[in-house]
Amino acid sequence: MALFIDKLENFIKSHNERQLVTIPLAVFAIALLIMVFVYSTSGSPVNLGMEFKGGTMISFQTDDPIEKLEADYSAYSLADVRKTGQRAVLQFGPMENDEQLELEKKITSAYSFVEIRQVGAVYGKDLQVQALQAVVLSFIGMAIVVFLIFRSTIPSLAVVLSAFSDISIAAAFMNITGIELSLGTVAALLMLIGYSVDSDILLTTRVLKRRGSANEKISLAMHTGITMTTTTLAALVVMYIVSTYSYVLTSTVSQINLLSDISIVLIFGLLADLMNTWLLNTGILRWYVNKNPKGVKT
Amino acid sequence: MSEEKPKSLLSDWRVRIFIIALLLSLVAIQPWYSTDEGFDTNLDYGLDLEGGSWLQVSLQGAVIQANVDSGMTASALVENIVGSPVEVVNVIPPSEGQSTTTISLKTQASVTQSQLNQLGLSDSSVSREGNLSEITLYTTEQQLIATYLSEELNAEVIPYAVPGGVEYEIRTKAEQENVENLLSDVGGFLLTDENGDKLYREGVRTETRDLTKEILSEKLNALGLKDIPVRTVGDEYILMDFAGIDLTTAKEIAQKPGKFEIRMQTEGNNTKHVLYGDDISSVGVPSRHDGQWYTPFKLTLDGANALQEAAIEAGAVNDPNSHWLYMYLDDEEVYGAPLSPSAASRIRTNPIYSWEASTGADNESKAQAEQLQIHLRAGALPVNVKLMGSGQVDASLGDQFKMQAIIAGLLSMLAVAGVVFRRYGKKQILVPMVATSVSEVLMILGFAAAVGWQLDLPSIAGIIAVIGTGIDHLVIITDEVLYEGKLPPTKVYLSRIARAFSIIFAAAATTIIAMSPLVVMGFGALKGFAITTIVGVLIGVLIARPVYGKVIKEVLQEKGEGQ
Repeated sequence: MALFIDKLENFIKSHNERQLVTIPLAVFAIALLIMVFVYSTSGSPVNLGMEFKGGTMISFQTDDPIEKLEADYSAYSLADVRKTGQRAVLQFGPMENDEQLELEKKITSAYSFVEIRQVGAVYGKDLQVQALQAVVLSFIGMAIVVFLIFRSTIPSLAVVLSAFSDISIAAAFMNITGIELSLGTVAALLMLIGYSVDSDILLTTRVLKRRGSANEKISLAMHTGITMTTTTLAALVVMYIVSTYSYVLTSTVSQINLLSDISIVLIFGLLADLMNTWLLNTGILRWYVNKNPKGVKT
Repeated sequence: MSEEKPKSLLSDWRVRIFIIALLLSLVAIQPWYSTDEGFDTNLDYGLDLEGGSWLQVSLQGAVIQANVDSGMTASALVENIVGSPVEVVNVIPPSEGQSTTTISLKTQASVTQSQLNQLGLSDSSVSREGNLSEITLYTTEQQLIATYLSEELNAEVIPYAVPGGVEYEIRTKAEQENVENLLSDVGGFLLTDENGDKLYREGVRTETRDLTKEILSEKLNALGLKDIPVRTVGDEYILMDFAGIDLTTAKEIAQKPGKFEIRMQTEGNNTKHVLYGDDISSVGVPSRHDGQWYTPFKLTLDGANALQEAAIEAGAVNDPNSHWLYMYLDDEEVYGAPLSPSAASRIRTNPIYSWEASTGADNESKAQAEQLQIHLRAGALPVNVKLMGSGQVDASLGDQFKMQAIIAGLLSMLAVAGVVFRRYGKKQILVPMVATSVSEVLMILGFAAAVGWQLDLPSIAGIIAVIGTGIDHLVIITDEVLYEGKLPPTKVYLSRIARAFSIIFAAAATTIIAMSPLVVMGFGALKGFAITTIVGVLIGVLIARPVYGKVIKEVLQEKGEGQ
């Protein structure tokens, strides 16, 4: 870790601001392109999961192979069958109430460790709108607080831009890896706002309100900031492994999809945050400090 | 660990608050161990950890304000029942301070008083001269609109007086376009508010939502199963939690209407079946007039006929007082009274559709009338509901999730401790840091136990988010204090702490603001996540993290002196 920080420190010192922001901006642009592409094909910037499209997810413990499950339930608008260990996850499209009841009866009487989640298509639409509103409102709220804290435009914009880039990169990553937007991943994106801003605020406060040369303040902030992000990353990696791969140890154990989705999205969001905080935000901030030495303690 | 510290630390009010909060949390959580039941606590778990199922339904309806042409509406109504054209002869609008409109209609078809009664337009007269029927209705615009929409949409429509007008609640799904078309057929339109927006909104009135919730709650909990909480989510949704019950059974329970029956006393204690709940077409809101509380309700055509037949057969028309009407819900008597003398004499010749059950004059009677309203509704909910979402987690699966979440939590904590130790290489920093983080979790759990919150998977995700930001903040404090690599003198130390907290408060404020839309919007699962995160961040920045700032100084100082 210390080695990584040293390398990053040298990189920041030996490159000018334009060079620093190039990489993160390029990644940001690619992330946006991916989202535009997905939007043009599916009508939504990220792939919507069952909770937002409507449908039914049923998971249970079974020894039956996927082919048998497909054959057994193909009569019920079966959309997808997946199996990890002894755990099968079946996704169904929206269906009539009676059909739904019949399916549920059939499965609960045949299998154990059953989990069912059903969302009506109309409610799913409702949730979509609400989730979008929540993310947008959260983001605006965060931006307002950041502006109130720093009361100067460019440093605040840098924080907001890098948070936005974090979220975009995390969302693009979801598109690439096929993780769908669920209530869990919405939660993860919102958490990302909080985590992302933490290190940005640390950096900006240190650089704007402390004495010393910009590079010196940046590298001290970096030691703290990278420790912060790595502790969080460590916790998330463990959470991801436990919630996703426990079945490798005992095949009967189920994945906890909610925690698994939250942790993997946050892991990638935080990796993006490392880049955005220490290259993008740092680059903009150092450029601002050099341009306006007056407003800053040196 | 702070308890072992010397007096100077214990005399600090922040430390005291911290210790008290921690102790209170432990009392609230009540962890205990018994050989037969194993480890247990006072914490409540959500259905996804405890096992059970849930149903979420939406209430279908619309609330509008509208105007119509009274004559056209009345003729449309009558046309519908007689099946041939009806002409408006004359409309006398209400005089000053009155609300009754008098409408004269004529038609070639023959019209009976009973047909008009069935529409609820009993205040009317019919005469037939030659091949023309002349009808005179004494009614109000309010009644006309409600009856017209109710007939057309085949649903209950209830008018409510609101400031500046009358609101009509349509208790079924009614698209705005559909309603506007129906209104324009009778020369009417939706009213607009001061901004020019049409007064139409989807959903039902809050009172109706609450009534529906109460009926569901009454019905579900009358079955003597476990306590089934019924909650409203927003104005449109109702959520039912069935702990320990699988989804199939839950759906059966929720869909099974209560059995409501009206019986008539024949001889002595004997009673005879008159009608079931499906013959009650609508139930009104309890009201008070002539010094009595009443619950109004209406019968269907079959129901009204059955009651008339029973009353004549039993002899209630002659001697109402020895032939009472009794109402039963799931075979339990919920109401009993004789026919009023006027009803007894009227029912001899015509079936009566609109009834009122009186309960008495005092406040208790008001409560009885409200209760009766719920009982009368037992066969059906006041509004159409639609299943919006449902779910089930087996109890065994829930246990497994709980176990996995605990393991994930503990291992995450270990991983964090590992990173912190690698970074600082001092157990004097590691121990307080981990202890602070653990105490934050305990306090969140304590808070949850104290307010009777259910911990579900999303709120566990929230707790993990708090641990994450919490450790972040402790790292900020530590690095700020050790800015030059060693502990500064007290004066500098205090300003450093203040600086650290300016960063921490700023970060906490953004997190809280970012989470608050979820709390306010209140959509199901993520609300728990958002509330946990906000409460956790507040506990962290206000109670736990300041104490860490104090403790870290003491421990490092001690070490410094020892060297």
